[in-house]
Amino acid sequence: MKVLLVEDDVKTAAYVKRGLEEHGHVVDSAANGRDGLFLAAGEVYDVMIVDRMLPGLDGLGIVKTVRAAGVTTPVLFLTTMGGIEDRVEGLQVGDDYLVKPFAFSELMARINALARRPPIAQAPTVLRVADLEMDLLGRKVRRAGQEIDLQPREFRLLEYLMRNAGRLVTRTMLLEHVWEFNFEPKTNIVETHISRLRSKIDRGFDVELLETVRGSGYLLRAPA
Amino acid sequence: MWSSWRRCAAQDTCSVPLPRLVSTASFRLSALYAVLFGGCVLLLGAAAFWSTRSALETQLTRRIEAEMTLLEQEFRSNGIDRLIATVQQRTRIKGNLDYFVLDTAGKRLAGDLPTTDRLGWVVFDGGQNAGGEQSEEKEAVRVLVKQLDGGFRLGVGEDLEQVGEMEETFLGILASALGIVLVLGIGGGLLLSAAFLRRVDMITRTADAIIDGDLSRRIERTGSGDDFDHLSATLNVMLDRIAGLMENLRQVSSDIAHDLRTPLSRLRQDLEEAQKRELSAADFKRVIEDAVAEADVLLETFSALLRIAQIEAGTRRSAFRPVDLSDVMRTVAEAYAPAVEESGRTLRTDIAEGVQVSGDRGLLSQLFVNLVENALHHTPPGTTIALRLSGQSAGVVAEVADTGPGIPADERVKVFRRFYRLERSRTAPGSGLGLSTVAAIVELHHAAIELLDNEPGLRVVIRFPA
Repeated sequence: MKVLLVEDDVKTAAYVKRGLEEHGHVVDSAANGRDGLFLAAGEVYDVMIVDRMLPGLDGLGIVKTVRAAGVTTPVLFLTTMGGIEDRVEGLQVGDDYLVKPFAFSELMARINALARRPPIAQAPTVLRVADLEMDLLGRKVRRAGQEIDLQPREFRLLEYLMRNAGRLVTRTMLLEHVWEFNFEPKTNIVETHISRLRSKIDRGFDVELLETVRGSGYLLRAPA
Repeated sequence: MWSSWRRCAAQDTCSVPLPRLVSTASFRLSALYAVLFGGCVLLLGAAAFWSTRSALETQLTRRIEAEMTLLEQEFRSNGIDRLIATVQQRTRIKGNLDYFVLDTAGKRLAGDLPTTDRLGWVVFDGGQNAGGEQSEEKEAVRVLVKQLDGGFRLGVGEDLEQVGEMEETFLGILASALGIVLVLGIGGGLLLSAAFLRRVDMITRTADAIIDGDLSRRIERTGSGDDFDHLSATLNVMLDRIAGLMENLRQVSSDIAHDLRTPLSRLRQDLEEAQKRELSAADFKRVIEDAVAEADVLLETFSALLRIAQIEAGTRRSAFRPVDLSDVMRTVAEAYAPAVEESGRTLRTDIAEGVQVSGDRGLLSQLFVNLVENALHHTPPGTTIALRLSGQSAGVVAEVADTGPGIPADERVKVFRRFYRLERSRTAPGSGLGLSTVAAIVELHHAAIELLDNEPGLRVVIRFPA
């Protein structure tokens, strides 16, 4: 994957660049808004990671400019701690939002989700992972042909996991997308919901589809 | 100007230098008024002057014309001798009109008016007559001259002394009126601005004292209930509020320092241990994990503090929109139901449908999450936690109640302070910022929060404005 990183803090930029390269991605980085805009407008990337506060040109400005030029590359904004004010604005312009400091696995999970986000036009009506099937129109879930009864919130949780099948999904991503909580509760509520969901979709089947990645998040995938 | 003002303000009593008086708004206003009034006086005076003068002149003209007609009749019916006799007789009477009667050669036959060759209306200005002949009298005179039969000429006139006197008197009155208006206006302005400046100086002195560090100083009030008194009262309230905020800030700063010392020193211990060479790979990993966990605690605390600060700044109000509070509370209840049940507690809900408030959905979710977590972490297993919502015409009332140990009445206000923790909760997880965040969110939504006794337990009641 080719990633553009626009970040003025040398340490953060080096940390992110090294991490992405270790995962086999190609990273172009720019330390200020002008260079960032130049690269964003001239090259083709799979994902752009843009810091909100930049010298020269603000991150929001860069993305607005390249979007106006017809570039639809998914954008993940980075922002300093506690920047709840910028959240809404950032999400209107960009696609996702991550508050510094962050765990690398969180960043990785988010850009993976962004890069492979399917175009809206091809939105499927049925999601499938191995023998697990979700009918989005009929709001029904079946595993190996056997219907599974889910609460509405559990349905949403499973839907998000299935849409991101094969990719790591973090606790924070689930909190944001399933419960619309853009803060970190102290209680690990995600875990309790995941274990309930797991007991509904995996119990009694030979193959477990829903994995817990310790310290990072969850993964729903068909066994290799 | 500034330095003299400051010097003056620093003293208890001081006389106000004149340039300051002159530059005050009240002086400028009264000076402007005085000038406007003076202008009006002048205009009115001029109008009165001109109309009086022309009336006087008209009256004079009529009198002269009437006398002329009378004397012409006298001449026509009784001849020149009779006319001369009449004129001589009239001339002798003081205060009467003046006359002359001339023969064809221009020789004076009677009267004492200065003579002229011209006919009709003639005005001699003071000093000389129209014919260039030096007149005995110094005043201006107005004369009507007519040719009579037989070459005689008759002149009837009146000196303009009367008109001149009237003019002088009038102008005198006008000048003094103008003077009085200006003196009263400007003097009044000076008095007014002196009074104004005294009050302003009182405020300045207080401000100076506060700048110099005496934060307890307040503006003296006269109790007169005038604008200045109101202003002083408002400023004093503002100063009280600022002092309160400063005190709060001071307390928060020391609390932050105090509360962050523990995780910071733990972090340092972990890192110190990691420095040791003889550590096994497994121990090294554990120590580093501990250090990261401590750093996370620190970051979480900072994050919560910044969040509270941003909520308190109130700028999010502009992003308020109708929020389905029923849905928010149901989502929170649903999210926590498994965790509450697994911890051996019970969650009950009594949430009215379709209750809306104007607000920020994310923050309202956090409000109820914090309250539910509080109930979850500070009560023993077996406790029942209840979420209630009712939307009445008087307003929306939301409740989070538990049957735990509750909060002693005297500590109920303190728990909203940052980092404040009840004695028995010292060991429980949490930053001591949960209820501070709740208070900030409640305040942002113009709602009111109350901590009540649930008999037993704690009952948190939040009333949203209708």
